[in-house]
Amino acid sequence: MPLKPRQRDIPKIPGAVKFYKISAYVTGVMLLLLVFEMVFKYTPLQLEMQLGGQGGFLVPKDSITEGFNLSTAILIAHGWLYVVYLFADFRLWSLMRWPFSRFIIIALGGVVPFLSFFVESHMTKLALREHAELVAEPTPKTQGAPA
Amino acid sequence: MLADAERRAERSGRTAGPSGADGTMTLVSRLEVHPVTSAPDGSDLPDSMWQVARRPRWIAMLALALVIAGIFAWLGHWQIERSIESGKVVNPETETVKVLSDTVEPQSPFFDRVGGQMVSVTGQFDADDFRVVSDRVNDGDRGWWLIGRLVDDSDGASVAVAVGWAPTEDEAVAAEAAVPVGSDVSLVGRYSPSDAPSDGAYQDGRETVVSVAALVNEWSDFSGDVYAGYVVASEPWGGLDAIYSPAPVDDVSLNWLNVFYAIEWVVFAGFAVFLWFRLVRDAFEREIDEAEEARLAADVAA
Repeated sequence: MPLKPRQRDIPKIPGAVKFYKISAYVTGVMLLLLVFEMVFKYTPLQLEMQLGGQGGFLVPKDSITEGFNLSTAILIAHGWLYVVYLFADFRLWSLMRWPFSRFIIIALGGVVPFLSFFVESHMTKLALREHAELVAEPTPKTQGAPA
Repeated sequence: MLADAERRAERSGRTAGPSGADGTMTLVSRLEVHPVTSAPDGSDLPDSMWQVARRPRWIAMLALALVIAGIFAWLGHWQIERSIESGKVVNPETETVKVLSDTVEPQSPFFDRVGGQMVSVTGQFDADDFRVVSDRVNDGDRGWWLIGRLVDDSDGASVAVAVGWAPTEDEAVAAEAAVPVGSDVSLVGRYSPSDAPSDGAYQDGRETVVSVAALVNEWSDFSGDVYAGYVVASEPWGGLDAIYSPAPVDDVSLNWLNVFYAIEWVVFAGFAVFLWFRLVRDAFEREIDEAEEARLAADVAA
């Protein structure tokens, strides 16, 4: 039987959902940028993106010397934004006291291109519905947790 | 009504208890939390989450978490290695003098790993193939180089040699007479990559680059093999100055992308173990809560 969120955690749920939602969008977009970048870098195109510097926006791989290497910046930013996403995942999961499988599904959502958008809409809906039910209850009931 | 009030009191008592705020590493003890002592099936409830943690199932989970953390740490280590590898010196032995024909193949591309290599070569200069190159800077002074074609004794291949530097064109031209031709010379120098052909960028009527590709077309009666780079002679002839040719500077900059990835893997490794802790605590609290609910249900029924 799944546990319900703790009474004192209920007011924190909307904020956690919002945080998760934003980081899911950011991660999803960053992941698509990353796929875009990989296509340019590792297919026969062999191109990298730069800002400033000579030779325009797309230049041959490993040729960037003076411009800002946008490709590397995307890789580093994506890595750390995924850490933020995992934290948002953890916060939501632990406040909702969801099963561990849901934590894993959300985490995977940030790794598979496009998946984060579907997972995000599903999980947000679940969390908000559960939250609405909890708020509607006059006294904390200990049984009949929604799935 | 009484049951409800009691329930609320118990619940608030429990939730305000030492189970702590989310994510804090509080050791949860049942005795401080709730008076229920037995599970619905009559077995004893655990006293603390560490009792739950000691069960075979959770020890196995800990082992799994540690294995995952270990894999993550290994991935971090791999990233650190990569970050240093990409800053590694291409040729650590540039200052060890090597025989040219043993180190480089004539008629093959110029590879980074031989760039700036100190080489020795023995052969004869061709009397007709000396050239003077303009616009060469030596220690900040603009001047001229004398270059020649040396035919390597060991394999008969030709290699361009930068003989020396002079501040005036006349001195550079005059120095040619002092270079021995028709007899073997041994010289030591730095093997350097050829310049690209200048495409007519002359200065003072002279070529401004040392381009092997261009030279092979200019050399008289030349046929045969040629080395892709040229040798900057350490000891000049005929009163020329030695050409300033320092050892290549090693690029020791770290690859920051890999450094950041390494840190991330360490964070993930820590997270794997922390999640185990959280799961144990959840399992423990679940048992307590279920026992509590069962007791309340029994109270209501009674």
